[in-house]
Amino acid sequence: MYLMQSKERAAILGYGAYVPYYRLPTTEIARVWKGGGSGPNVEKAVAAIDEDTVTMAIEASRYAMKMAGTDKLGAVFVGTESKPYAVKPSSTMVAQALGQHHTLAADLEFACKAGTEAMQIVTGLVGSGMIEAGLAVGMDTAQGRPGDDLEYTAASGGAAYVIGRMSKKALAVIDCSTSFVSDTGDFWRRAHERYPRHLSRFTGEPAYFYHIENSVKTLFEETGHKPSDFKYAVFHQPNPRFPVEVASRLGFTMEQIKTGLLNPLIGNTYSGSSPIGLAAVLDEAQPGDKILVASFGSGAGSDAFCIEVLEGVTGARGVNPTVRSMLERSTKIDYSTYSKFRDKLHK
Amino acid sequence: MAIQYWRIRDRYYRLIGSRCGACGSEFFPPVYRCKKCGSEDIADREMPRTGKILTHTLLHEPLPGFEALAPFYLAVVKLDNGAKVLTQIVDSPPDAVKSGAKVRAVVRRAKVDGDSGQIFYGYKFVVE
Amino acid sequence: MSGQRAYVASVGMTPIGDHWGKSILDLAVDASRGALAGLGGKKVDQVIVGNMFSAVGASQEHLGALVTSALGLRGTPAFKVEAACASGGSAFNTGYRLVKSGAIGSALVVGVEKMRDLEPEEASRALAMAESAEYTQFVGATFAALNGLLARLYMEQENVTRDELSAMPVLDHANAVTAAHAQFRKAITPEVVSRSALISDPLRLFDCAPVGDGAAAALIVNDDALAGAKGGHVEILGGKIATTEFSVYEREDMLDFLATKEAFKGAMAEAGLAPGKLSLAEVHDAFSVVGALSLEAMGYSKRGQGSKDAKAGKYSMDGELPINTFGGLKARGHPVGATGMYQIAEAFLQLAGKAGKNQVEGAQYAATQNIGGVDSTSAVHVFGRAS
Repeated sequence: MYLMQSKERAAILGYGAYVPYYRLPTTEIARVWKGGGSGPNVEKAVAAIDEDTVTMAIEASRYAMKMAGTDKLGAVFVGTESKPYAVKPSSTMVAQALGQHHTLAADLEFACKAGTEAMQIVTGLVGSGMIEAGLAVGMDTAQGRPGDDLEYTAASGGAAYVIGRMSKKALAVIDCSTSFVSDTGDFWRRAHERYPRHLSRFTGEPAYFYHIENSVKTLFEETGHKPSDFKYAVFHQPNPRFPVEVASRLGFTMEQIKTGLLNPLIGNTYSGSSPIGLAAVLDEAQPGDKILVASFGSGAGSDAFCIEVLEGVTGARGVNPTVRSMLERSTKIDYSTYSKFRDKLHK
Repeated sequence: MAIQYWRIRDRYYRLIGSRCGACGSEFFPPVYRCKKCGSEDIADREMPRTGKILTHTLLHEPLPGFEALAPFYLAVVKLDNGAKVLTQIVDSPPDAVKSGAKVRAVVRRAKVDGDSGQIFYGYKFVVE
Repeated sequence: MSGQRAYVASVGMTPIGDHWGKSILDLAVDASRGALAGLGGKKVDQVIVGNMFSAVGASQEHLGALVTSALGLRGTPAFKVEAACASGGSAFNTGYRLVKSGAIGSALVVGVEKMRDLEPEEASRALAMAESAEYTQFVGATFAALNGLLARLYMEQENVTRDELSAMPVLDHANAVTAAHAQFRKAITPEVVSRSALISDPLRLFDCAPVGDGAAAALIVNDDALAGAKGGHVEILGGKIATTEFSVYEREDMLDFLATKEAFKGAMAEAGLAPGKLSLAEVHDAFSVVGALSLEAMGYSKRGQGSKDAKAGKYSMDGELPINTFGGLKARGHPVGATGMYQIAEAFLQLAGKAGKNQVEGAQYAATQNIGGVDSTSAVHVFGRAS
């Protein structure tokens, strides 16, 4: 058995998304670097000059705690590949801002899947009875080298989850999950480098598809679930095409993935990508709906979850802004403003 | 500078101000003595994170260390409990930054100590 | 008040502007020598230096002993008084109190500031140190920003127009044309103000006092010391420093300059003068809006009427109460720690009948109002022509 399932079930008690205010149309990137056209996605979300993973994690976490109605966290995990410091934990800054001190705090890094592994760890801590509730954040201010194909999609945003013991107010139960990893060098960033490097087409088949297909198939084999059992599915979204392709290969329809498919409008938020897709689904899912979530992180691995929506979800509506409303509250910027915001100009 | 920021990080991150135990008045920045009734029975208090713009300005020439943000909006925000905060206004269209506009607090990078020093975080406000 | 009478026997000052060739000590010595000339060779009992940011601006502290030593006044007690932009007025008040109380017979007070050695943004940072490090500097606010916030509130709440706000800088520039020590001796129109660059809207460049170097000094004496002095002198009739809630945004009513209100009331009461008796006033208009709110706090204009009254001519040289008779902070200049001492030197020139082309005819009584921060400190002094 490879299935991960806590002895006592843990549940999502609250969640909060964060999408920064600024959008860079990919036509701007194409205009500057390729002489015209656009990228695979329409726009990408860009953090303001005074935002970083910590500030965005704090905002999303405040929402999650408000919805959960909790002011006590036994764990704070921040999953990110864009820590503000190379050495100095992001999680303690987030914990301090949330007023949490008697808490386990750690930063997790696994390219784009650090957010979902944070969710698995908190699920384990809750399910074992070690803590009442904990926070799992997937958040990034992802950066692509100017002119690189990655620049079209590398975006800012993510989501935070308060996961705790089952209760009447719980929004959704985390029934089980799987993880599948291998040593695959599809994408990396060496120490002291500003931008990651990647092996373009190699990031597809041996990396993204191979790992997600393995984690999801293992989940199906060991639970007996099949795609039609799920009302929604969320796959990691490095671009608009991969999640559609992997959904199709695994037997999911466009109808099942469209709610959580945000890449065309905000780009790839890395560690935030699958968590924010799940948040968009929870914004509209009904009690009894099952949700499949499968993340992917380069290097490489995939976590797949089976989540079932509970009655508490209806009571949580309206507490926080929805992901859709965050997509709408935005303004477009040009490439030069983006360069200033994301420190691509060097004086 | 790092220690000065560290000492009051909760005030920056969480808007911890003061509440008077005698008359219930609340203040930000924190006070040592109630400005309404004079009592010294003062305790820390987390401020509400919403309020309204009382007055605002667009600053073109900020202090050294804030140049990259310029021009930026500054405002005096009257919080829902009556406390007044001097703050930057971010992520808001120019026509929304006006007296009476409803705002809410967010945490942002307040100041960055060059390429190798620390990053200091603090409150800013966004027009709702 | 018991004790003895106190007088300004003589004053000295440097022109305000870019003194590239002079150090902070050079400036202080120049102004001090002018003031000491009135002492007739006798020894001064005390030296007090008014200065705000010599540490940041010139890497120099311990100004009291530094200046005293340079003047050759071995043995004389000396110290620096700092109260931001009110350093000059506060230093003078300290000297006045010492003489008035009978503790000493004479005091040399010199206000000095060296600003031009700093780049403009560094000068802005040095000035901002007069405000809360933790809640004002922390958000990137300059004094121009705080006063921009104040100006918008003033214009919106009191229905003040752009041209009305411009009246004070226009008045200052008109008076400075014939003032030898003024930094900007050129008349301007309201259009010049309203077309100048935005600094912190609605405030524009010409709403704001300039950066400049300068020093001004006065010799305070009692009757005994005066006996040996030569020439005209002016009596110090009253003086008061008041403070209020430190940062303007902490105040219940941001437009109410309580420190100035209390300092002015106290100084006039000590002088035994009714407000209508003043022949002229030197007002601390570091920003156009500050001049207007100061005149309202002193009671010469009703609330919301300060700028409107200035535009109507009430405060012009031929008006009801001439103010800023040598150009005020905007045109004479605002070398921060020296500003309060320039105001006092100017009041002296007026009451001693030495104001030349800027003379207010028949001037009997004059007041000076010197602010630190946004009216966090206010130092007001009242002077009378010696009888």
